[in-house]
Amino acid sequence: MANAQMVKTALARWCDALEAAAPELNALDGRLGDGDLGTTLQRCAQLVREALPAMPDELGAVFRACASACAKASGSSFGTLLAVAFLTAAKNVQERTALDRTAIAQLLGIIVAALSARGGAALGDKTMLDSLDAIARALQEAGEGADLRAAVRDSARRACDAMRDQPNRIGRARMFADKSKGADDPGMVAVLRMAESL
Amino acid sequence: MKKILNRPADYVDEMLDGLVTAHRQLRRLGEDGRVLARAGGAVQGKVGIVTGGGSGHLPVFLGYLGEGLLDACAVGNVFAGPRVADCQEAMRAADGGAGVLQLYGNYGGDRMNFEMAREMLELEGLEVAAVRVADDVASAPVAERQKRRGVAGMVFAFKLAGARAAGGGSLAEVTATAERAALACRSIGVALTPCVIPESGKASFEIADDEVEFGMGIHGEPGIWRGKLKTADELTDEMLDRLLPECGVGRGDRVAVLVNSLGATPHEELYIIYRRVAARLAGAGVTPVMPLVGRYATSMEMTGASLTLMPLDGESERLLAAPADCPFWKV
Repeated sequence: MANAQMVKTALARWCDALEAAAPELNALDGRLGDGDLGTTLQRCAQLVREALPAMPDELGAVFRACASACAKASGSSFGTLLAVAFLTAAKNVQERTALDRTAIAQLLGIIVAALSARGGAALGDKTMLDSLDAIARALQEAGEGADLRAAVRDSARRACDAMRDQPNRIGRARMFADKSKGADDPGMVAVLRMAESL
Repeated sequence: MKKILNRPADYVDEMLDGLVTAHRQLRRLGEDGRVLARAGGAVQGKVGIVTGGGSGHLPVFLGYLGEGLLDACAVGNVFAGPRVADCQEAMRAADGGAGVLQLYGNYGGDRMNFEMAREMLELEGLEVAAVRVADDVASAPVAERQKRRGVAGMVFAFKLAGARAAGGGSLAEVTATAERAALACRSIGVALTPCVIPESGKASFEIADDEVEFGMGIHGEPGIWRGKLKTADELTDEMLDRLLPECGVGRGDRVAVLVNSLGATPHEELYIIYRRVAARLAGAGVTPVMPLVGRYATSMEMTGASLTLMPLDGESERLLAAPADCPFWKV
């Protein structure tokens, strides 16, 4: 079970991980995109970190604060999509004070649908949606007593492995579909770094 | 990189500082000053029109704020979308109590951010409409018009919608005018050399010295073909041959024309293009109205030009000729 306190502790680690991964993500994004993914996420992390102390111990409010931090962070699509993800989480946790494995998996499923509706990507397009979907399924299928952190981390890594040789089907990288084969999608790597930070 | 700047990271903010100092009718708003609005505030009772997008295209987007044109603009970094929070702030700044129209170019990131801003402000009770301009015929076939990118045709959509709003049109009327303009205008461009994005110091694309890319987008998106540079008349003819069939104009029709520099191409070359455009239109019995020749939608120092045509009717010709005043253009 993850309550608001635990989510906030995890968010602090999430911020550390994104700040550390910024150069790697900029370089990956620079191959086919505009090379600002790391900077975008660094800015999201910075604003989330600044907002953390004032966040109440209530899941919906925590996610809402993260959404508005990301909406302020950047004009890049990834920043907006993170804001959409957090806002969707805020709207869907309702009155719950803690999230268990199944609740997190369901929430991720709703988030994938919201991101797809807003951003236009579908599963299989080689985006972070494929990573989030893989994590949701791994959580859903994890047995009792399983190491959930490992399940999240491993499924995010396997999602990268599975999509690596596929072409990007959306966004700027789509214009270089052939070149994108064999390379990790920067957004999927960002999700992997987030998963590892848990 | 060879550019006149101080720190690459300050490029957009220092540009905005200079612009509002030179043009006192505009002011900066928002947490980081990334919203531009008319200094006098929203015009009460008038439909507010907001736009927004990446920097690097002046006069698009923020250069078209003013009397008879637009009210506020959310400003992104060079070639990067504006933040959701700034889109919201721009909408608030444009709100004179008669609703707000979002009028911007059809790019995925801009669309996502404006749509999210719309969703959040509609929760606060603001009446919002949105029109995206998708005039670049090279970016998708006519059957997939909704996928096309927005380029110089935005200028005509801004002008017509702005005139309709200034004339007291309701949100529905201003939106309908913007939609008709967006549907009517069509553009195509040719690029000769790239521009350099200050934040990365990199060229927006690579091209050989003797090559031209026909149909390239304003951020260096791939066009229709790339090959040896042709003569001005050959390039102009090919642009017209792509635009005219879609415009459906014939003898007796009137059309608005914009010959636009992508930044570095001089007026001299634009007039060489216009000369050919005028001759071809005359040959087809089509009358050009209020031709615009100059820098209206650029990609910084990119060399190249675009041609935009918009068939006119009585109403749109009246709106095109209505008074307008912004830092880059007076009618």
